[in-house]
Order: sequence, then structure tokens, then C-alpha cells
Amino acid sequence: MLHVKNLTAAIGGTPILKGLDLDVGDGEVHAIMGPNGSGKSTFAHTLAGRDGYEVGGTVTLDAADLLVMTPEARAAAGVFIGFQYPVEIPGVNNMYFLRTALNSVRRARGETEIGARDFLAIAYEAMDLVEMKRDFLNRAVNAGFSGGEKKRNEILQMAVMQPRLAVLDETDSGLDIDALRVVASGVNALRGPERSMIVITHYQRLLEYIKPDFVHVLVDGRIVESGDHTLALRLEDEGYADFVNHELDHVPGRPMSGAPT
Amino acid sequence: MTSATTAALASEVSPEAQLERIAAIGYPTKRDEAWRYAPHAVLSRLSFGPAGAIDGGMLSEIDAQIPALDGPRIVVVNGVVDEARSDITALPVGLDLSTSGHRSGVADRRAVPPDSGGEPVADAFVALNVAFSGDGVSVHVAAGQHLDPPIHIVMVSTSAGTHNTSCSKLAIQIDAGGSATVVETKLGAGSEFGGANTRTTISMGDHATLEHIVVQDVPSTQVHLSRTEVTQGVGSELRARMFNLGATYGRLAYDVHLAGEGARADLSGLYFGSGDQTLDQQISVIHAAQNCTSRQAFRGVLDDESTGVFNGAIEVRPGADGTDAEQSNDNLLLSNRAAANTQPRLEILADDVACKHGATVGQLDDEAMYYLRTRGIAVDEARRLLINGFADQAVHDVGIEVLRTWITQRLGHDDE
Repeated sequence: MLHVKNLTAAIGGTPILKGLDLDVGDGEVHAIMGPNGSGKSTFAHTLAGRDGYEVGGTVTLDAADLLVMTPEARAAAGVFIGFQYPVEIPGVNNMYFLRTALNSVRRARGETEIGARDFLAIAYEAMDLVEMKRDFLNRAVNAGFSGGEKKRNEILQMAVMQPRLAVLDETDSGLDIDALRVVASGVNALRGPERSMIVITHYQRLLEYIKPDFVHVLVDGRIVESGDHTLALRLEDEGYADFVNHELDHVPGRPMSGAPT
Repeated sequence: MTSATTAALASEVSPEAQLERIAAIGYPTKRDEAWRYAPHAVLSRLSFGPAGAIDGGMLSEIDAQIPALDGPRIVVVNGVVDEARSDITALPVGLDLSTSGHRSGVADRRAVPPDSGGEPVADAFVALNVAFSGDGVSVHVAAGQHLDPPIHIVMVSTSAGTHNTSCSKLAIQIDAGGSATVVETKLGAGSEFGGANTRTTISMGDHATLEHIVVQDVPSTQVHLSRTEVTQGVGSELRARMFNLGATYGRLAYDVHLAGEGARADLSGLYFGSGDQTLDQQISVIHAAQNCTSRQAFRGVLDDESTGVFNGAIEVRPGADGTDAEQSNDNLLLSNRAAANTQPRLEILADDVACKHGATVGQLDDEAMYYLRTRGIAVDEARRLLINGFADQAVHDVGIEVLRTWITQRLGHDDE
């Protein structure tokens, strides 16, 4: 459903992604791991449509060209990004924000909007998933939230938006073990044959809770190794040192294909 | 409606004497700190005199604009009470509403607020107000009375007659231990150039409580000059909320004199400018007694070529120990042609004083815009959400739901 071919991204002429290839099938969960500065977050935001990157290559979601779309059009096409640092928006009520978001994508898809009462049922169900108290809805978006509350709010939004592709950028960063468990069980509950996920993380820890179908190692803007979940365990033991400043002499098979150009 | 002139509204200063004072004071200029950002060429086009005839047809557009608050209402049009639009049929116990009904002729215009007789006035517009204000409205809350429904004073300006500017005045007196909410709504009709010059004097007895909400939303063809002067007694509590929205030049001057020990004044406001509006807040709090608390929190949203002004003073008089004063002014610029001018003025002549102030001028947060857009919210809607989120600090604690809805709708926010 998602095809990334030779994706490049630069900021102010400095290349960050240098030809990234990735294929994600329906219902698959792909983990992307890599050292700091390897381009993990840039990859996530290139998929979501952040301004300020010079982007090359192609990215298609269900055959639609994502790279030409605005961030809001990508959301309507089914892309959801979970932020590493969710943004605080004082004065904007969480409930109003969530309903505006859901109805915005529904409008863009030509679907009917959801009224306040029906929305409440959707929101409550999503909140139970991430063990959020009801008064969360009446607070301002992320304003004054703890690190764990912000990440749970991201998963709550994902549960409300029901995306086709969820990209979770270091969702585990800054979480204690209890919050990690809640966030991971929320993510697991949202797994399904119609929804694919890209889980970006620095540590293997998250992958003990969210078991990926594939693990990829991102180094210096390219995927340098791919494998199943045992690759994550290997990284945990050996670290990224073997992959850094190390020319690979082979190209792993599915789901990535040759990276260097 | 009673048209008895109350003793409180009477004065021995003749209009002729007032005009002499105006001539002596002269119009403010750019060199006057309090008038630095005012459009002086526009002010020079204002003409003052006795209230002119009112075009009844022009007023019909006003009816739909007035917020429909529960409680007594007095509508004043160009300084003259409009009895048909007013409703004082069921006044609660402890409330006295009266007007001084001199309706025609300069010679009859003697009513002035109680404390302005021989006192020096702040500027020529105060003197003009004293000389030319029509019916004075007086709100008197008796000692120990707690009035629940808001008292709504609507001041309407139209540019009718030979003089394009009208003067109105309001006197509010809350006796010891009394409490009330007074809403002042300033509206206008017609599309001609004109202005209004309003003055409100507030006297709060010991342990009196007042919530005072001022909403200024006259047409953009008009100038609106609003001035409020408050004196607070021991342990009294003032909560003032100001919304400066309309007019080509909208000016809200608000002076608070904390005269009694332990008095508290909590002032906040929102100015929301577009086009070529200039919205000017001139705020001053004088701590003249011990252990008084004051808060000033003003926010501005400025689009297009609009200008916002916040000139806020905290003056702590000698001996006013235990003063606790804070001031903040935050501005959101939506256009690179908009401007915010913010000036804190602190004069502290006492020891043992806690004084804080801060000001910011910023733009819409790019990261927040991006965040909202990744949730499918289009650019215009995302801007609207962020702008209203910023303005919410001033709006959210307006306790009168009808009025809060009126304001949020005026700001272009259809949240339910």
C-alpha cells in the first residue's frame, strides 16, 4: 500500500535522506531503528508533509502520489503521524480539536460529518483504549500535559482518525514503563488488516510491546539492513556501531530493495 | 422611566466654563504619551455639541446587534436615553437606576459625574464629555445588596445632526458590601464618519464587588473614545473585562485608584484588529493603600494593517506597602503590516512591593499550524483555531453565557 522509492530530503542543501526505499504492505507493522541523526524523524515528517524540505524520489499510498499533497490532504488520504514532541495548543479544547480533525478528513473524503453526540461515543471508546479520564476532552490540546499524557493523546487521535497508515515517531521517548505499556496496548488494539504502521524508535524496548513484522536499520539517510524482529534484538546487543561508516556489500531482500545510487 | 436628576449627577460647573477649560487644555498631540499612537488627523474631524436628532430608521439595525442579556437594560442613543429600547420594569431590590433627563439646549446640560466638578481633567475629551454629555445614567447598588442579573447599559452612537460626535456618561456606585455585574456595550449605526466619547465613573464602597464588562464594537467608520475611572474602598473587589473590537480608532482608557486597604482589581482585555484599525488600551492602576492586589492581562490579535496599543501603568504610592501587582501584554500579529506597541510604565514609591510585568509580540506558531494540518485541518481552519485559542484567555471567564457567545461569534468562532 505504501511504496517509497529513492526518497531524498535535504534542508538548506544539506542532505538528510539519501535514497530511501521501503515497501509496506496492508496490515504490516514496520519498525525503523537507527542512531541519532540517521534521518528517522525526517523520514516521518517527509511522509506527513512538513514544509522546509527539498524532497526527491517518489512516495505513493494506494497508488496516490503523496509528495504533491498538503499535510491536510495526506491526512485525508489516510496518513497519520504520531509526533515525538506533540505540540501544545493553549486555548483550543481537545474535544473540539478532535472533532474538527475527524470532520475535516471526512469532509475531504466526501463523507458526512459526525455530530456532537455521535462523536462523544467515538471519543469515549478511543479514550478507554489509552486509559484516559473523561476530563481530558475538556482540557486544552496537550497544554500542561505530562510526557506520558501527550503520547497517549497522540494514540487517542490515531484511534479517532482511524488512519490507513500510521507513522509513530519515537512514541516511546520520554515514557515510563507504565505509560509505555498503555501506549503500546493502544497501538496493538489498532492493528488490523486495513491499517499499516511504521514505528520509528531508537530503542528495542518498544518492540517488546509492539511486535513488528519487519525491522529496518536506517543509517545516514538510507536503510542499510532489513530483517524480522530478531534484527532488533541483535541491535540491542551489538548497537549501531557495525552499521555506521560501514559500506554494505549486499542488499537485503524484501521489503527493501537496493538503496545506493 | 424616571427622569429625575439625582443629586449625585448634579454639578455647578456651567457648560461655558467647561468650554473655557477645553480651550485651555487643548487637544492632545503626539507628544502626549497617552495619545502617541492616536490618529490625530482623524480626531481633528470630530465635532462636538449638543446631541442631534436621531434617525429612527437607522436604529432598527441596532436591535439585532444588542446582546440579549437577562436583567435590566438602559439604551442610550447619542447621549439620550431611548426609553423604547430600555427595560427597567422589574428592578431588583437594592438597585436604583436613574437618568438625568435634560434633553435639549446647551443651557440645560448641567449633569456631570459626581467627582468631576472642579477637578483637573485627564484631557480635553473628558472636558468635552462633561460639557456635552446628554442624559447621565446612574446605577446605584445599596449597601449589602447582591444583584444577580447583569445590569446592561447599551451606548449607541450614530453620526446624526450637525455634530458628528456624541457624549455619554455613566456613574456606578456600589455601596459597602454590595455586589453587581454591569455590562457596557458600545454599538453604532450608520456608515457615516462620526464618534462617541463616553465616560464611566465607578465608586466602590468597602468590601463592594463589581464585575464590569466593556464591549466596544462600533462600525469601522466611527471613532470610539471610552474612559472609565474607578475608586475602590477597603477590601473591595473589581473584575473588569474589556473587549476592544470595533471603530477605526477604538480607545479604552481605564483608570483604577486603589484607595482602601486590601482592595483587589483584576483587569483583562482583548483587542482584535483588522483593516486599518487602531485599538488603544490606556490602563492605569494606582496603589494608594496597603496590601492591595492588581492584575492587568491584555491580549491583542492584529491582522492586515491594524495597530494595537497597550500603555499600562502601575503606580505604587509612598506607604502602599504589601502591594502585589502584575501586568502582562501578549500580541499575535497575523500580518507583517500589523503593529503592536506595548509600553509598561512602573512607578514604585513604596517598599515591600511585588511587581511583575511582561510583554510579548509573536506570530502564529508554525509548528502548531503543521500539527493541526497533519490532523486534516485545512490552513484557514487551523489559523482560526489558533487565533481563537490565543484569544480564549480573555474570553473564557466571561460568566454570562449569552455575552460570551456573542463575543466568540463576533471573533468568528462557532464553537458550541
